[in-house]
Amino acid sequence: MKEKKLRNIFTEGPIPAQKIADDVQHHSGKNDIGAHSIFLGQVRADAKDGGTVTAIEYTAYIEMALEKMALIRENLFAKYPLTCMHVHHSLGTVAVGEICLFVFVSAAHRKAAIDACEELVEQIKQELPIWGKEIVSEQLSYWKENK
Amino acid sequence: MGINVLFFGSLTDATAVAALNNVAAGDTAALQELLHQQYPALRTAKYFIAVNQQMIRENTTLKTGDVVALMPPFSGG
Repeated sequence: MKEKKLRNIFTEGPIPAQKIADDVQHHSGKNDIGAHSIFLGQVRADAKDGGTVTAIEYTAYIEMALEKMALIRENLFAKYPLTCMHVHHSLGTVAVGEICLFVFVSAAHRKAAIDACEELVEQIKQELPIWGKEIVSEQLSYWKENK
Repeated sequence: MGINVLFFGSLTDATAVAALNNVAAGDTAALQELLHQQYPALRTAKYFIAVNQQMIRENTTLKTGDVVALMPPFSGG
């Protein structure tokens, strides 16, 4: 096994809205950035048989997800002229209306930031071993399926 | 020592456990057969297999200490 430090992407519970403002503020000193592209995933109150989704409970194969994320990151940096990329995904319970995914891509110019951000979100949904369980009530839940 | 097996997502509804340790199986096909006997609901479940975090598509030889993960389709984000 090769030893390398893997960047964590997981946060227990929802991602606080304040974190988004704080992270934008933290980039104000990076003078080569001209564009930030941000994607926020929010838990939706989908209608289900027997009620409405009240929360999503996330679990992951953490070690594999971080390995995979490192590869995705490397590939996107090779493909687009990016300055930086930050991904935060929730684990555990996130209530309806709360943020479960925060993707933040920065570049000198908007096109690279926007294109890379979109591609990154698609890859996070398709390639990272993360599962969401949609909670309707204490007795009723459904395993989430990505469209 | 044997194979360590991890179950994720909806598969844990079928197994009621998240992991099995010291399972004796020489390859992934034998392991699947063993798990399908122990947890019949897995037979009809759709899942991918990773051996030591690498996704595999074909029968793969296993050795002591390997970690085999059974993973249903991903639904993050």
